[in-house]
Amino acid sequence: MKTTAAIVGTGEVPTGNYPNRTEAEAAVTACRQAILDAGLSPRDIEAVMPVGVVMGSRHFNTDLIFSRLCEELGMLRSVKLNAQVMAGGASGSATLKVACALVASGAVRNVLVVHSDKFGSTTMQQGIDLFATLGISEEWEAPYGHNANTAVALITQRYMHETGTTEEELAAVAVSMRQWGALNPNAMFRKPITVEDVMRGDHVCTPLRPKTMSLWADGASAYIVARAEDAPHITPTPVYVRGMASLVTHYSVSQESNLAFLAFPEVAKEAYAQAGLAPRDIHVAEFYDAYSVMPLLAMDAMNLCEGERAGSFIAAGHTLPGGKLPMTTTGGAIAQGHTGAGVGVSLVVESARQLMDKAGDRQVKDAVNAAESGSGGTWMDSHISILSREAR
Amino acid sequence: MSDQPMARPVPKPTAWSQPYWDAAREERLVIQHCNQCATRIMNPKQYCPRCLSDDLGWSESDGRGTVYSFSIQKRSPASPFVGKGPYVVAIVRLDSGVQMLSNIVGERAFDVHCGDAVKVAFEPIPGTDITLPVFELVG
Ligand SMILES: [Zn+2]
Repeated sequence: MKTTAAIVGTGEVPTGNYPNRTEAEAAVTACRQAILDAGLSPRDIEAVMPVGVVMGSRHFNTDLIFSRLCEELGMLRSVKLNAQVMAGGASGSATLKVACALVASGAVRNVLVVHSDKFGSTTMQQGIDLFATLGISEEWEAPYGHNANTAVALITQRYMHETGTTEEELAAVAVSMRQWGALNPNAMFRKPITVEDVMRGDHVCTPLRPKTMSLWADGASAYIVARAEDAPHITPTPVYVRGMASLVTHYSVSQESNLAFLAFPEVAKEAYAQAGLAPRDIHVAEFYDAYSVMPLLAMDAMNLCEGERAGSFIAAGHTLPGGKLPMTTTGGAIAQGHTGAGVGVSLVVESARQLMDKAGDRQVKDAVNAAESGSGGTWMDSHISILSREAR
Repeated sequence: MSDQPMARPVPKPTAWSQPYWDAAREERLVIQHCNQCATRIMNPKQYCPRCLSDDLGWSESDGRGTVYSFSIQKRSPASPFVGKGPYVVAIVRLDSGVQMLSNIVGERAFDVHCGDAVKVAFEPIPGTDITLPVFELVG
């Protein structure tokens, strides 16, 4: 498939608990960084695509919908389209797909994607109660005490049953995330942990232990997609989008026909075919977590573990800094923090930063191709994207 | 968000799901189907998800199936379920092929494994006219 779009700039503010930083301030800061990183000026931007807000104020979300960012950042009468896209945790992959299609169609020359949300002052119980309604059927699931944690627990249990993955291997994913988080100045948790630390935490809902899950945070990130033909004239480090495959598999997790792998096997195959690349070509995997099982599904589906199970591959340390296949180098939601729909956006940003050679202490040397994954709601969809320094 | 205790979520039957809840109150499990293309439908819907027909009906289920997956909620549930645990959330695959979310109940509930055989049981929600189909391990 001929490459038609590229990421040309990224921005991000630190993730964590920032009670005095408003959602708007964080969004504007991330957008400004992305525009400056690309070497563009505000009036070069032709579309703004804000992601939906989950926990921040409704007023802020309507501000995003009603072009506040265009006014704040000097883009009035130059932006042709300001429209929100929201796919929950899949919003990184989903905005990438929509933005790439917009530039490929000729509708606009570029798209500025931004996410900002604020969870830091949310109590644990408020978060649990909110996530007992998101992607949970009111009539068919909520009455049984089902919630987002049990939804992923059902996936995790089935994945363990079908693959033989152990709880210690799930813990090793969190260990890998925290090691990357230690290198990420924008991460909330920067202290490494051990498998024993994870296993000491009692189950919230089997087989999930607290440190294999994530904590709410405030955060914002942004990236700019441009037409592939324009990209090398905008920046010396364009990151081309070579493959983007996705499939929606359920609304209610109870209706998922392949609970252990969702649609990751199918979309991985399609993404490789679009990109013209093979597993050995992937140098860094920016896989969506929120919970530790999710990157395992994507690692297996993408066949990145040299014939091993993803669990044993990760437990052996191959995804750690300096390992054979660095994975989720921000530390993901588990270490960087869970910003709602922003987790996926930050992974698109990190994929681009790695391939632009702008990842600081986390830089994966000579990374040419990156894979990114996403999934929203109660893992309603499976997305894989492949990005590269090289156009096809 | 409010810190008020949340009421337990209770199904609000719709025009197309009412027969399911009526049957459950009589301790019967019924599954929706399409009279045009014979598709079995769960969760119940307004139209057949295969052919979009509105000519839908109901058939009795023997309530037997297997556990596709499960989780034991041990702590930190949503507010309405605080103090009600531990409890088992499961996806059951009925022998007729449809899947549904439910609870595994009974003395042996916490011994549940993927693939275990189960059969339907019924639990009224106190103070309402709703009865939830739930499942017990068999064999
Ligand atoms: Zn039909």
